[in-house]
Amino acid sequence: MSVPSGAEVEHADWPTLQGMCRSLGLNPKGRSGVVRMRVLEHVRRRGRPQSWRAGRDHMAALLTRLGFPDLAEDLWETAIRLDAPGPWVGLGQAQVAGGFLNEAAKSFDRAIQMGDTSALLNRAEALGAGGDYDLAIAACESYLASHPTDLRALAMKADFLVRSGFKEEAARILLAAADSHPEFPFLHAGAGTVFLRAGRPEVALEAFGPTPHMEASAIEGALNHGAAFLLLGRTREAIDIFQKALEKAPERGEALNNLGVAYLQMDEPKLAASNLARAAKHLDTARIRANLEKVPKAPPRPRAKKPAARKKPDP
Amino acid sequence: MTLAPDTTERFLPSVDRLESAMHAARRAFERGDTDAALAQLGAALRLKPEYDAAWILKGAVLQKAGDREGALDAFMQALRCNGNSKEGWMGLASVLHELGRLKEEADAYDRLLAFDPRSLDAWIDKGAVLHELQDYAGAIRCYEEVLALRPEYAAAWNNKGAALLRLGHEADATRCFEEALQFDPDCVDAMANQTYLYEKQGYHGEAVLWADRALRIREAPGLWYAKGLAHLGLLESTLAIRSLDRALALDPTLKEATAALRRATAMRGKSDFYRGPYECFGTHLEGDPGCEECEIRPRCREVTP
Repeated sequence: MSVPSGAEVEHADWPTLQGMCRSLGLNPKGRSGVVRMRVLEHVRRRGRPQSWRAGRDHMAALLTRLGFPDLAEDLWETAIRLDAPGPWVGLGQAQVAGGFLNEAAKSFDRAIQMGDTSALLNRAEALGAGGDYDLAIAACESYLASHPTDLRALAMKADFLVRSGFKEEAARILLAAADSHPEFPFLHAGAGTVFLRAGRPEVALEAFGPTPHMEASAIEGALNHGAAFLLLGRTREAIDIFQKALEKAPERGEALNNLGVAYLQMDEPKLAASNLARAAKHLDTARIRANLEKVPKAPPRPRAKKPAARKKPDP
Repeated sequence: MTLAPDTTERFLPSVDRLESAMHAARRAFERGDTDAALAQLGAALRLKPEYDAAWILKGAVLQKAGDREGALDAFMQALRCNGNSKEGWMGLASVLHELGRLKEEADAYDRLLAFDPRSLDAWIDKGAVLHELQDYAGAIRCYEEVLALRPEYAAAWNNKGAALLRLGHEADATRCFEEALQFDPDCVDAMANQTYLYEKQGYHGEAVLWADRALRIREAPGLWYAKGLAHLGLLESTLAIRSLDRALALDPTLKEATAALRRATAMRGKSDFYRGPYECFGTHLEGDPGCEECEIRPRCREVTP
C-alpha cells in the first residue's frame, strides 16, 4: 500500500480522498475538510517514523492475549478515537474475551460504521460465541457481499451453518471455496467430510475428488474418503485407502478400526479381528470395543477322533 | 610561548584545578547532585572569584535546588562580572519570573535586548511576561519582532493570537492560530486556543474537533472541560459527562466542571445524541460532498450555528 504525498491529499477530490481513507484504514466519513485533515495528519506521521514505543493500543492488545480482558477493555476505552476503527475492534475483542458478547457486537458495529468491513467477521465471531448463529451467518454474508471469495469468511459461514444444523449447505459452501481456492486441496476433503456427516456419502465421494491425498496433514480427510466408500459398499476401494493411510501413519487407531470394519464386511473375520485388536491398543474407545465384539468367533476346532482299534489279524 | 618552569608551577596547576572543578560541577549538576555541584563551584570560585560562568552555573544549581534568592544573587554576581552575558540575563529573568517579580523580569529582557536585539528567546519571553502583566499590545509588538526574524516560528504566531484574543480581535487571533498550525501542525497550544475561541463563539462542533486533536497530544483539565461544554452544546450528554469526569479526575477543584457535570447528568434523561463515526458533528457545510453523504445530516444541520 503506497502512502500519498501531502500535495496529493491537498488536491484530491472527494472520491479519491475516500479511496485514500479506505486504503490507509482510516474512517472515510465526515465533512471533506475534516477527512482531508485526517488523511494529512496520517501522512505526516507516517513520514516521520519515530522509534517504536508500546502505545496504549499495543498494551491493550497484549493484555487481551495475556488473559486480562477487563484491563485491556479499560485501556482500549482510553485509546478510542472518532477517526479510527481499530480501537473499536480491539475493544470488541477484549469484550469477547471477557464474555460481554452483546457489548462486543456493538463495538464491532462502530468499527463497521467507520468503514472497517473486516469487523463484520469479528462481529460474526461474537454472535456465534453467543449462540446466535443466524445473525452470525448474516454478518458473514454481509462481508462476503464485498469479498465473495474470502476464505476466512467462507469457512466461518460454513462453521456456523454446521453448528446450526445445516450441514449440507455448509458442505456446499466449502465446495465452492475449494473451487475458488485450488491452492488449498484440503477444502475438498473438508467439504466431503461435512457431506458425509450430513448423511450424503454419494455426494461426499464426489466432493473428495478422484484420489485421496496421503500427506500427514491430509490423513483425516483420506480416512473419511475411505469411510464414504465403505458406506456405499465399495469395500475393496475403502480397504485400499485405509491400507495406504496406515503405511503413512501405522499408529492411527481410527484407520485400523475402519480397516477392521471393512474386512468384516468382506467376511474376513480373522483380518478384521487382528486390525480391530490393534486399533483397540492404540485407541481404547467404546466403538472400537463394540466392533471387536461383533467379530464372529471362529467355531471350536473338532476334536481329533480316536483311531478305530485295529483289528487284530486272525492268527 | 614557553613559560619558565617556576611560572608553570605557579599558574598552570590552578587553571587545571579550576577547569576540573567546573567539569565536576557540571557533571554533578547533570546527574542531579546539587550538593556536590555547589561544593565544586565553591572550589572554582575560590580559585577565580570573578568567573561569570561559575556564578551562572551556581545560579542554575541553586534555582534547581529551590533556593531562588540564592540563585538571584548568583546571577547578579555573574552580571557584575560580565554585564553582556546573555545566559546571565536570561537566568536572572527566569529567577525573577519564579519570584513573581514580573516587571523586573521584563527589564532584564530589555537589558539583554539592548546589546543583542536579535535574541529570539528574549523577545518571546518578554512577550510572555508582558502578556502576564496584561500589556497585550506590548506583547504583540514582541511577537512581531520575533516573526520579522523568523516568520515560521509557530509559538510566536500562537502567542500573538492569544494576545489578540485578549484584546478582542477574534478574527485576527484565528488567523494567527491557523498560521501556527500551518507551520507546526502539532502546536498543541494553538489547538487549545482554537478550542477556547470556538467554544466562546458558540461553534461547539469546531471546539470538539480541536479539543480532540489537542487532547491526543497532551491532556489538560481545562481542555476536557471545554470539550465537555461543547458536547453539552451539541446535546451529547454521555460524551459531555465523560469529558467532564476526565476534567475532574485531573483537577478535582475545577468547580465549573462540577456544575457542568450536574447539567449534563440532568440533560441525559431528555437528550443524548450519539454522533457515531462523525467527528465533525456540528460543523455542517452546505454543499460539501462529505456532508451530502452524512447519515446524521439533519441533526448536524440543526446544531450547526
